[in-house]
Amino acid sequence: MRFLPKSNGAVEQDFFAASEAAVADTVLRGKLENATGRHLDHVAATRAEFPAYEDERDASRRIKQDAIARLDELLVQLKERLEGNGCRVFFAADAAEARKYIVGLARERGARRVVKGKSMATEEIMLNAALAEAGCEVVETDLGEYIVQLRGERPSHIITPAIHLSKEDIGTLFHEKLNIPYTSEPEALTAVARQRLRDTFLAADMGVTGANFAIAETGTLVLVENEGNGRMSSTLPEIFVAVMGIEKVIPAMADLSHFLEVLARTATGQKLTTYTNFLSGPRREGEADGPREVHVVMLDNGRSKMLADPVLREALLCLRCGACLNVCPIYRRIGGHAYGSTYPGPIGSIISPSLFGAAAAHLPFASTLCGACREICPVKIDIPRILLHLRWKETAGNGDGGLPVPKWPRAARRARAGVETFSRMANHPLMIRIMGRLAALVAWPFARRGYVRWMPPPFSNWTRVRDFPVPRLRGRRKSSSAAGSKAANRGTRT
Amino acid sequence: MGDFHKLIANVREALERHDVPAHNGAAGSAATVPRTEAARRVELASQFARELQALGGHFLGTLSPRETIARIVEVALALKAHTAAVGAGIINDSAPIAAALERAGISVIRTTAIADDQARAELRGNLARCDLAVIEADYGIAATGTLAMVATPERPGSLTLLPPVNVMLVNVERILPDLAAALAAIGAATIASHRVALVSGPSRTADIEKRIVLGVHGPREIHVAAVWHGND
Repeated sequence: MRFLPKSNGAVEQDFFAASEAAVADTVLRGKLENATGRHLDHVAATRAEFPAYEDERDASRRIKQDAIARLDELLVQLKERLEGNGCRVFFAADAAEARKYIVGLARERGARRVVKGKSMATEEIMLNAALAEAGCEVVETDLGEYIVQLRGERPSHIITPAIHLSKEDIGTLFHEKLNIPYTSEPEALTAVARQRLRDTFLAADMGVTGANFAIAETGTLVLVENEGNGRMSSTLPEIFVAVMGIEKVIPAMADLSHFLEVLARTATGQKLTTYTNFLSGPRREGEADGPREVHVVMLDNGRSKMLADPVLREALLCLRCGACLNVCPIYRRIGGHAYGSTYPGPIGSIISPSLFGAAAAHLPFASTLCGACREICPVKIDIPRILLHLRWKETAGNGDGGLPVPKWPRAARRARAGVETFSRMANHPLMIRIMGRLAALVAWPFARRGYVRWMPPPFSNWTRVRDFPVPRLRGRRKSSSAAGSKAANRGTRT
Repeated sequence: MGDFHKLIANVREALERHDVPAHNGAAGSAATVPRTEAARRVELASQFARELQALGGHFLGTLSPRETIARIVEVALALKAHTAAVGAGIINDSAPIAAALERAGISVIRTTAIADDQARAELRGNLARCDLAVIEADYGIAATGTLAMVATPERPGSLTLLPPVNVMLVNVERILPDLAAALAAIGAATIASHRVALVSGPSRTADIEKRIVLGVHGPREIHVAAVWHGND
């Protein structure tokens, strides 16, 4: 069973095959457990000592909801103010338009050396490959991104790109690619990257970053980071380009502190990131720092489709903190690459189908719906609800509401018919009892130590992805509570 | 009350503050405000110091302007610095700091507005090669150990980005309780027209096995002096 028809570049691989391989990789699992566990400890500690956390979370959610609800007027205001500050604004309907604009700009200005600050939006539009094709040398300057770029991989986490690598992996990589003696000391490896990238920064023609927030009131881009790569990229090169999803706009300067109070606490367990950079336009007369030209690419790429769906709209509140990845039992076992999308984990599963189309339509099914993502989300996005909504849309088979038509409509129709039949039977206690016995009889020969691990086709599709407890021939165990649950148990009691 | 009036007049005379009319006692409660204010400043400064140290920064102390200069020179000498960049001050004049560093045998780069691309390249080269930079911050944030920097041609933001070590000054009455207060103090008009950076401790990363390493692209060491005017 191949769930993925074809790769479209941004989404690739067969999810089942990739996740099976990742689950079997116990070394990878160790690294993921280690890193995500440490992150969650930090987050819990920082939150515990900040009593206003819940209030700030509420405020952030409400401000963002308001901003999304009047996205049209805020984007107009933002564009006017940015232009008033001397920036050039380009509206890109999709990834291709964004790439074309940036590549065209690099060509026109003769920019050959491009440095990039950490940015998911540029990963989303696959900018690096497009610039490289146009003859530019593109260097990722966030340490984690630099590492995965040297390996020819893509990031496996929104904020910790090299989370799938050990310090020994990175030591070997630097030894081979940068011709330095092998060391696995994070301090030494970081010092090597600092020195190499410093020279790159000072020689760069063009800097490209994302933006965490864009303030409509003042026409200001806000970039948060710890290393200084975003600051370097927006300070040294003559041409600067920021790529921002259209949902990044917030109304006013006074709104910003609420987001900053929750973002780092959830993303990394810090109170505030090391750098919070405000950039409103090109450098002024007499200034040594800053670009001569600032270009802001506002990216739709499926976001207005999400906005049109009243349930999916909530996904636009996302601040890209990455915390839902770290709490997700699926992410923690398979890592980011197995998802095959630029945005992995729970948030990736709800936004990827809109951003990347049918190639990512399977991702809403890659979840146990446990709800840990909703609990940790700094803006309380109800991710499980959206996952269920997307599953419904996918199996409904009509592809309305901006979502693509499913690539396997027959399977979807069959699954839907099966679920409908089941729900009809579940309304009749007698039928349930008969079906339960029947299932038990069929499964019995395959039971091993209380579980059914394998069954022949057509049941093999179920047993391929999970083990089932052996259905009981003699009804369920007796209820521990008394009279109240009797009615509920009547159907299965013998 | 007559004796009290006289006492205050004597104190004023001793302080050589002849221009202030003697207090008549009617608004006596006002005299307690400065003391409360001082206590609040001390609290904010020490909270700032704790948070900065938690981030791996060094707090030089709450110092008078004269002590501040002495400590800056000490830090520079301990680093065996040859070159220091000094940005223009805000409340604290940077000239005596630069002069003291030069007396200690350290060559000083004074940042000024630049005229052309050649001057820009030269300044960047200097900042990338110097051993430390001394710069005054616009505001401090006690809750997070953060310094807010509003860049001007004489006080460029790359002072807190390119050099390996930063020694920073912040006036004690400019240490504000939290982020919201600092953003309000900077104001929307300044944000819209200046490059602003909030700096919380040394540049850092946790990209290799979530282990914290300081000094990735920005400074790996930050020393901060809270300057208290008036009791030198």
